[in-house]
Amino acid sequence: MAFLIYRVMDFNDVWHWNAPYDFVVTVFRLLSLLFFFISFILVTGLSTAITGTVPNELIVGLYNTITLRTWYMQPYGVSGPITNVNEVFARFSVDIFEVLNSLLENTFLFLYFLCAGIGVALFLQSLVRMEHKFVGGAFVSLQMILVIAVLRNTILATLGDFGIVLPFFGDEHAILDYAVFPSNFFEFLFSNLQLLVLASFAYLELSYQMIYSYSVGKPVEDREETLKKQLLALRQATRKQDAIERGEKVSITAMSRSSGAIAFSFLREAIERKVVGSQDALENLDAVSDVRRLQIFVDELLQSDSRARDELTAKAAAPSSSYVIGSTILGSAFRFLTVIAISFLLMSPSAFLAILNPPMGIYNSIEVLQPEIVLLYLVPVVLLFPFAAMVISWFSKREVLDEPKLTKDEKEELKLRKKELDDKKKQAARRRKERESVRRRMKGKPEEKDEWDKALEDTYKP
Amino acid sequence: MITQRGFVVIFAAVLFLTSGFALGGNFYLTTLGVYLIIGLVVSLPFFALTANIAGIEVDRQVDKVKLFSGDFLRVRVTIRNTSRRHFDFIEVHDQYPETWILAIGENFIASRIEPGSSITFSYILQARMRGRYNVGPTEVVMRDRLGLHYYKRSLKAETEILVYPTWKDVRRLDAIGKQRQLGLMFGSHRTKIVGMGTDFTGFREYVPGDAFRLIDWKTSAKRGDMVVKQYEQEKNVQIMCMVDTSGSMGNGYPENTKLEYAIRAAVLLTHMGLERKDLVGTCVFSEVVHSFVPPSTHPNHMYDVLESLAMAEPKGWSDYESAITHVIEQTRKRTLVIWLTDLEESPGPLLNAMKTLVANGHKAMVISPFGPWFEAPVGQFGPVEKVLAEAVSEELWERRRKIARALARFGISVVNVGPEDFLPTIIKTYEQAKQRGVALF
Repeated sequence: MAFLIYRVMDFNDVWHWNAPYDFVVTVFRLLSLLFFFISFILVTGLSTAITGTVPNELIVGLYNTITLRTWYMQPYGVSGPITNVNEVFARFSVDIFEVLNSLLENTFLFLYFLCAGIGVALFLQSLVRMEHKFVGGAFVSLQMILVIAVLRNTILATLGDFGIVLPFFGDEHAILDYAVFPSNFFEFLFSNLQLLVLASFAYLELSYQMIYSYSVGKPVEDREETLKKQLLALRQATRKQDAIERGEKVSITAMSRSSGAIAFSFLREAIERKVVGSQDALENLDAVSDVRRLQIFVDELLQSDSRARDELTAKAAAPSSSYVIGSTILGSAFRFLTVIAISFLLMSPSAFLAILNPPMGIYNSIEVLQPEIVLLYLVPVVLLFPFAAMVISWFSKREVLDEPKLTKDEKEELKLRKKELDDKKKQAARRRKERESVRRRMKGKPEEKDEWDKALEDTYKP
Repeated sequence: MITQRGFVVIFAAVLFLTSGFALGGNFYLTTLGVYLIIGLVVSLPFFALTANIAGIEVDRQVDKVKLFSGDFLRVRVTIRNTSRRHFDFIEVHDQYPETWILAIGENFIASRIEPGSSITFSYILQARMRGRYNVGPTEVVMRDRLGLHYYKRSLKAETEILVYPTWKDVRRLDAIGKQRQLGLMFGSHRTKIVGMGTDFTGFREYVPGDAFRLIDWKTSAKRGDMVVKQYEQEKNVQIMCMVDTSGSMGNGYPENTKLEYAIRAAVLLTHMGLERKDLVGTCVFSEVVHSFVPPSTHPNHMYDVLESLAMAEPKGWSDYESAITHVIEQTRKRTLVIWLTDLEESPGPLLNAMKTLVANGHKAMVISPFGPWFEAPVGQFGPVEKVLAEAVSEELWERRRKIARALARFGISVVNVGPEDFLPTIIKTYEQAKQRGVALF
């Protein structure tokens, strides 16, 4: 894909390898010109305000020479010191347009290089780290070269419509395009444009399929690796504790830090607890005891159950690589052919005209030959696929029983628990009521005041 | 459902299409856009057809369904594809309670699964807090090969696990006991009753029928008359542990609330009682009596107590009267009732409850966690909060002092405890009760 794009753009002679350098230099030229002009206006203005006249040639020349040339701030391309104020202003208007024109052309060249650079960098990244974002990024970046080239053509054409001609801008770039969309499928399939589209799509498709093949086996490998690290870290931590208890000196090596306790969340937490609770000996004891108990638990588990290690690593979950590769090739081929066929049917005006049989006015209209006509079919056809998927999944979902069915015993138990709590609440409320009524009856006999109530009153006397 | 990656493809397709339309009608960009869109949706119906999520069955097995807080648990998850189609990419996340810690392994797997086959993976968890927990549900995510579409399903197969309160205090106590070579004696308190104890109390003259092994030959030789040794008789006590689970007991640091300490104290007390063949019962109450485990020495008694304490949740208010009425109805023998309550309810009902308790011949004492000692240290507050905290603390202390004075009139002592001295206090109380011979049976 990258090579095809390179070739397309090379035809337009854009790969000037000094383009990025030129762009940077042009930007600096523009900046230095602006700086020079602004500083010059300031100095001239101040001088005029103080002396009451435009500064003479000697002052202008001296300023330009001493201040700007000495400090390399003179505009690029100016050889000698400019001594005349009017000359400075006249020169500025010429220079600024020249630099701007140059910048405009260089910007596009620079953007081509920038996109190509980003695309290649992301592609290389995707080789090392099999992630979708890198593949997608490389694809979009490389395609953006053509988008920018088309944008440049459009700007030129638009300016041309207004009679504006930019001398530095050059001609429009020749970008892959059809004058009329081919009505023959094979002509469509073997055209240069189609080759690049196919190459681009194939890159995306194959990369995504490769990432799938990689990611379907990788978690199991990672799992095994993680388990190894965890068990090693656990063993090291237990040994270290034993050594500390024996009163030996324990050194923490860089190795043990990276692959050991720190890499293992459970141990990390245990250590943190130990650190946080350094004032509390019991907390330390807990953390140490947790690690040791875990070690004993794991040892017993691995000894008593021969499958325990395989289950912890989920070794059996790794799919067969030959099947994955075979299905990847078949799946890709099927998708590839389907996409090409559907796209041709959607885009070809002949298919459109044959199916819809439009009136002669439309049949012969120029609009039929425009790319926008694709929308007429594209939108309904594209929506058809999610609709079909929705219908299928709706039928499939009927088989799903999301709500768990409680067994009869579970239901009974749940009911019993609820009933028990309600009974308890009712009983407690009834007893409270009884106690209240007894108290109310007792209240009517002041001479029989309870000594406990009296004690309470005495206690709460201010 | 379209994934985030799918949306990026849509964005790129729209970008190329609109560029193709807008920038002079370029067929290359239009075709590229069309390819991307068609490529995105073309496999959608096939994916919907194959990803029949009902064909996935998840089976979870755990080593045990009841364990102590801090214990480890192995969870084995088996995923079966019961359908006739393969699943290209399946991600399975088995969820576990938030407060638990994943000790070894991973609780998720991503792989491909063939028809009729299964995948098994396992991981080890550490249960951190007591209570009833559910391991699960299992979340199954199916993706297509390119990761552009997915279906998600939560399989609600949950495994209920009961986590008992922590056993670490008992372990610690046992360890100390072993170190000191403490014998697990049949009673250890002193009584004035002469009997078959271990503590020497004096001599008496030999009477026919006394066992020869009790004769002290040295003293008999000195006195010129046969004397036998006498020992203090040892008896057991009956204790009822009243655990208040009102809402205010839930205050404090997580895992270190007043209720958690009260529960740990109850576990420790029951264990000590069982070790020495004393009868220790437990009553968990708030506005109702949630559970009552009568005093017993049955082998399963400890598990009954643990189960009742495991379920305790801090909510509601404390109805001391209902609780003590229930206990008195169930208990015939004289009992030492140890209240583990923060005394934050109105004192009237508390005094009434104590009155009922003492009137029925029981003894009582209150071990009361003092709220502010369980909260964040005052040093961590700003100046305003500090003043407020101190004011509240003083007011609470004053209130508590008054309650203590009121209860003292009836011979009931109140011990204010914090996180550091909660457990030592309960051990001390038990030892003193044994020594004083409170509530013997």
